[in-house]
Amino acid sequence: MVLRQIMLGLKYVFRKPYTRMYPYKEKAFTTPATRARHILDMDTCIGCRACQLACPADAIKMYRVEGEYPKNRLKIFPGIDYSRCTYCGLCVEACPTGALKMTDYTMEHLITEDKASTLYTPQDLAQPPPGEYRVTLSKETWRPPPSPPPKGKK
Amino acid sequence: MTGRSLTVFLGPQHPGAPGNVGFRLIVDGERVLDIELIPGFLHRGFEKMMEYRRWDMDLVMSARICVEDPDHVELTFTHALEQVFGVEAPEKAKYIRVIVAEFSRLASHLLWMMHFAGPIAARYATSWAIAAREEILKWFDYVAGHRIYHHYIFPGGVRWNIPGDFKEKTLKTLRHIEPLIRDLDKGFFHHPVFEARARDVARLKASDAVRLGATGPNLRGSGVKYDLRKMLRYDAYGEIDFEIPVGEYGDAYDRALVRLREMYISMDIIRQAVEKMPMDGPYRWRLPPSIPQGEGIGRVESARGEFIAHLVSAAPNPKAKPLAPYRIKFRGPTFPTLTTILKHIVANEEIMVADLPILLGSLDPCAPDIDR
Repeated sequence: MVLRQIMLGLKYVFRKPYTRMYPYKEKAFTTPATRARHILDMDTCIGCRACQLACPADAIKMYRVEGEYPKNRLKIFPGIDYSRCTYCGLCVEACPTGALKMTDYTMEHLITEDKASTLYTPQDLAQPPPGEYRVTLSKETWRPPPSPPPKGKK
Repeated sequence: MTGRSLTVFLGPQHPGAPGNVGFRLIVDGERVLDIELIPGFLHRGFEKMMEYRRWDMDLVMSARICVEDPDHVELTFTHALEQVFGVEAPEKAKYIRVIVAEFSRLASHLLWMMHFAGPIAARYATSWAIAAREEILKWFDYVAGHRIYHHYIFPGGVRWNIPGDFKEKTLKTLRHIEPLIRDLDKGFFHHPVFEARARDVARLKASDAVRLGATGPNLRGSGVKYDLRKMLRYDAYGEIDFEIPVGEYGDAYDRALVRLREMYISMDIIRQAVEKMPMDGPYRWRLPPSIPQGEGIGRVESARGEFIAHLVSAAPNPKAKPLAPYRIKFRGPTFPTLTTILKHIVANEEIMVADLPILLGSLDPCAPDIDR
């Protein structure tokens, strides 16, 4: 009676392991939609604070950056505290100019011994992550952009 | 009975405890005389926090109320909010919601397999179930962008459009997990040792289940045909043909079998929804940042039972449109499970310490849902 189950188990004994050999042999599993580290385009950011107001975890603070930024008169840019960020993507959705995007560069930027290094200033966010990455969440994600609901329904 | 009772603590660190909850057991030898829940390890005060945040931020937070089955909490909140806004999701979004919700149910039931089979030493079933769940998590990563907390079901539809090869990807995922679930069926659910351990343990009569507030598979395991997907026919469930599995005796084995059959039915629902889904049309309505004043109730059949969200939007000025809800209250399926039902079963049956993993596992509690 139990023999049937033993035979079934044997089928699995000779299978190759399902585990992903991260990080030494394989890279982290990502898809074209994975939401991970942000990337900021400081030339298009207008410093409107929409991302700060949209953040449910209060991870975004605005920092003043000196330099030539004709579009950003106040010269304030978002900086993200990754020890608070939940990667929900509401900041990207709120950004009116598409300056803030999300990439699929996952995990590596969080592995640290120094907790202060999880705070990313605008200059850090503007730096593209080292290695391969692709932009996964941007203004282009909402194509076509949602329209207001039709009137008189329900 | 020796007459000398002993107090023993189980959890929250114990690997056999279901999630981050503790239990205080009063035992006499091997027999468990009384059991008491020790909650509070996960209390984060979500309902209060939601009163201070805008509605879209609340949705992101709501998923954290039940880690194992987050999409149904989002769906409950979404239904309540859509009622206040007076909108209905587009046709395409309704089907996508059904598919996402059923995948969430499958992932939750497969994770339950781990909580259930692991503590009774059926390690093989645990690893098969987790391998199947992993495929679902990859599907979620592909569609929603995250593995566990998806934030994909959104008031007014779904958050963004589905990828181009959604249909093929969904059917491929089902083809991958179906043989694993069939093997679990043969290798674990019909294993004589498991059957001997779970039969006639932790019985819950139908009348008691209704009286004590059981919902979901725990209620259906006792033989009561109650399923909100059939009763309310929310989203696209009205267009889909499926049956409700019920148990016969209401014991741990029946509850486990109900969950197994639900897994098959969920896969069938997903296949039907993928076939019937319109591929074009809007996926989401844009809603204003402020909520009109009013009241909304969302009711959803989650993997563990009935989830209710009651949302009240109010402001001192009757013409004002607040950004955050005035009050929101969630009703989760786990609270009655681990309080009244657990005590009832222990009081009315001779439960041994060795039966505890079967008893706790078969009720499938979700610890964060108790504390909120």
